[in-house]
Amino acid sequence: MLKLFEHNTLNVDDISAEQTAVEVRNLNLWFGNKHVLNDISMRIPKNKITALIGQSGCGKSTLISCFNRLNDLYDGCKYNGEIIIDGRNINSRKINVSRLRTNVGMVFQRPNPFPMSIYENVCYGLKLQGVKVRRHLDDAVESALKQAALWDEVKDRLFESAHVLSGGQQQRLVIARALALKPDILLLDEPTSALDPLTTLFIEELMDSLKKQCTIIIVTHNMQQASRVSDYTAFFHQGRLIEYADSDTLFTMPEKKQTEDYITGRYG
Amino acid sequence: MLSRQSFGLNAVQRQSFVISLTAFFTSLLLIALVSVLILIGMRGMAYFWPEPIYMVTGKQSDGSAFTVFANVFEDPSGGDVRLKYADSRAPYGSQKQLSEEQVESLDLIPESAEIKFQDGRRVLAIPEYIVVPSKPAQGLEKINAVMDEVALITAQIEELNTQKLAPIHEALSQFDKRGVDEEAPAREKLVASFTEYQKRVEALEATRAEYELWVSFADKSAFVIPMSDIQSVDFVSRLSTFEKWKVVFSEIGVFLSNSPKQANTSGGVFPALFGTVLMVFLMTIIVTPFGVLAAIYLSEYAPHSALTTTIRVSVSNMAGVPSIVYGVFGLGFFVYTLGGSIDELLFSDALPSPTMGSPGIFWAALTMAILTLPVVIVATEEGLRRVPEGLKTGSYALGATKFETIVRTVLPIASPGIMTGVILAIARAAGEVAPLMLVGAVKFAPALPIDGEFPYLHLDRQFMHLGVLIYDGAFHSQTDGKSASMMFAACLLLLIVVFILNILAVLLRARLRKRYITG
Repeated sequence: MLKLFEHNTLNVDDISAEQTAVEVRNLNLWFGNKHVLNDISMRIPKNKITALIGQSGCGKSTLISCFNRLNDLYDGCKYNGEIIIDGRNINSRKINVSRLRTNVGMVFQRPNPFPMSIYENVCYGLKLQGVKVRRHLDDAVESALKQAALWDEVKDRLFESAHVLSGGQQQRLVIARALALKPDILLLDEPTSALDPLTTLFIEELMDSLKKQCTIIIVTHNMQQASRVSDYTAFFHQGRLIEYADSDTLFTMPEKKQTEDYITGRYG
Repeated sequence: MLSRQSFGLNAVQRQSFVISLTAFFTSLLLIALVSVLILIGMRGMAYFWPEPIYMVTGKQSDGSAFTVFANVFEDPSGGDVRLKYADSRAPYGSQKQLSEEQVESLDLIPESAEIKFQDGRRVLAIPEYIVVPSKPAQGLEKINAVMDEVALITAQIEELNTQKLAPIHEALSQFDKRGVDEEAPAREKLVASFTEYQKRVEALEATRAEYELWVSFADKSAFVIPMSDIQSVDFVSRLSTFEKWKVVFSEIGVFLSNSPKQANTSGGVFPALFGTVLMVFLMTIIVTPFGVLAAIYLSEYAPHSALTTTIRVSVSNMAGVPSIVYGVFGLGFFVYTLGGSIDELLFSDALPSPTMGSPGIFWAALTMAILTLPVVIVATEEGLRRVPEGLKTGSYALGATKFETIVRTVLPIASPGIMTGVILAIARAAGEVAPLMLVGAVKFAPALPIDGEFPYLHLDRQFMHLGVLIYDGAFHSQTDGKSASMMFAACLLLLIVVFILNILAVLLRARLRKRYITG
């Protein structure tokens, strides 16, 4: 009987180096004088879905933007500490940021397809890498759209503008665009907050199926969503990692008072 | 208490008063705009319309009587009548202003004709008969056939000149350059054939000179016109409306395809039209990349510092600098300094006569590019700023570098904004006259900037410009005086050119907008 409740998730402290997709060591980050991330250390496991939760402004989006160095775009952003992906510290100057970003895909809150055809949207990253052979592009587009469960809906209108698609379809297109580069890690920054509940469910199912190929890190404000889809959950508050555990534990028996208050909706 | 109770009106009345006031000023604006268009359009079209010819008899201001064939224009302001006439003392046309009392009679003369000359002059007279070599005088019904005959002879002369004489002349000058002896047999043979062809040309010209049109003026005096000088003979008073329109269209054809004649008061404006369009085209080619690259740097790469802000403000202010200042700058910097240095470096053989160191179409286009640069930069920056941040981040997240993001995402989306800048630049450059007169636009240019001679596009040549032509014709020509109607026609054409250039750019922008629609 107990077996039923026994999850296939490990305790976060027991994740070994081989099972780790992203290892964060003593990460501190400042925007100007504002200390946004305060001494974060965590191991995010491979081929699992890890949810980051917390109030707005607690630094969770900033944290996942560290995983593909997107914070470099903002003036006045400073950071130290290490983030290890594939055995290399990506905060090092020697890292090729473009290559890192093809390996760590990212999907944003609002669907942001480019004003081009569906096909062109999916090949954008591949073309940047210099893939020119039409057959390779065709194959990549088809498989990415299939993985994003969008192929059947758009296969007859690949060359129409991406803006004719609905919001949910656009978000899946953006996911397909990231998947076309075959990333090891997929960062989702509140991917469903602009979508209706049914479409949200659809995207959640999609995440579950994508877990086999890549590690998914999702930022969400939706407690139910975090508990539904994620294997692990980390709770942040004011730039600090308050609690990090497998989702069942975190949502049923949180250790910290702050976590409990947050997940039961007692503050914020 | 003025505020609430102003003019004793309540809130509703006040509001409708404000609406009427704004509507009133809008309609004033519309009236001004429409009257400009109507004036330019009517006066411009009137230049092409064949006016009926009257026989006018009257008294001059000194009391002497006169009889002339004339086009009669009534002065809209008063009872005065203006005559464009021709008689034996002024066969090629003159003007007279008469008060109504001075005019004794006005009769439409059906057999009178307007005879236009190749060189742009015109004569109003009654054609009497045609003189043809070795035949009795011909009646006027043969006039078209005779004119075709003359045109054929002219074509033969033309062919001999270009096909035979010119190559021989070229070969002879080659011989001279190589120092071939005057008595060398090859040279003598060439000289002989040159003389022979020349004789044939002279014979043809002599035959052609025997074709004459005899006309008579209102005072019965006769006047002889060589047929080869005539471009067209229109019996204006006999023409039906349809035939008049035919004359109008052929006149428009001449206007668009010929060179100006008679000190820019007659003939066509083709070189000016060509010069205007080519200059604007060159200007667009120069200003677009410059402006776009500068705007990209300012909005995407430049650090957010006081210096950047200063540069941005200066760029916007540059749009307000009077255009003549740019003209002086273009003359001083581009023509004398830059052009002078190029001459010293590359064309030192030709010095002291300048090659690039004199005003020319390239310097004019470059000056206009500097003048319109702020417009393009400001509009492009505006377009770049409108690119959603999310799309840029999306592009970066797919591994694009900043440069790749700009080229593949930002520029296409900003392209309608860039086009807006280019449209404004074109509109400004096509209408600008003052700086052009300093850096290359002239009243009359002997050759077009593009021809069949290597290197085909002669950027150092001076060129004609519609605006300069209008300025010159409207103020400096005495012959046409007040009417100056060719200047109205040129104005109309300039308006149409600017309109067409703008329409093209607007259509292109609409296409880009549709293609790169965002959100």
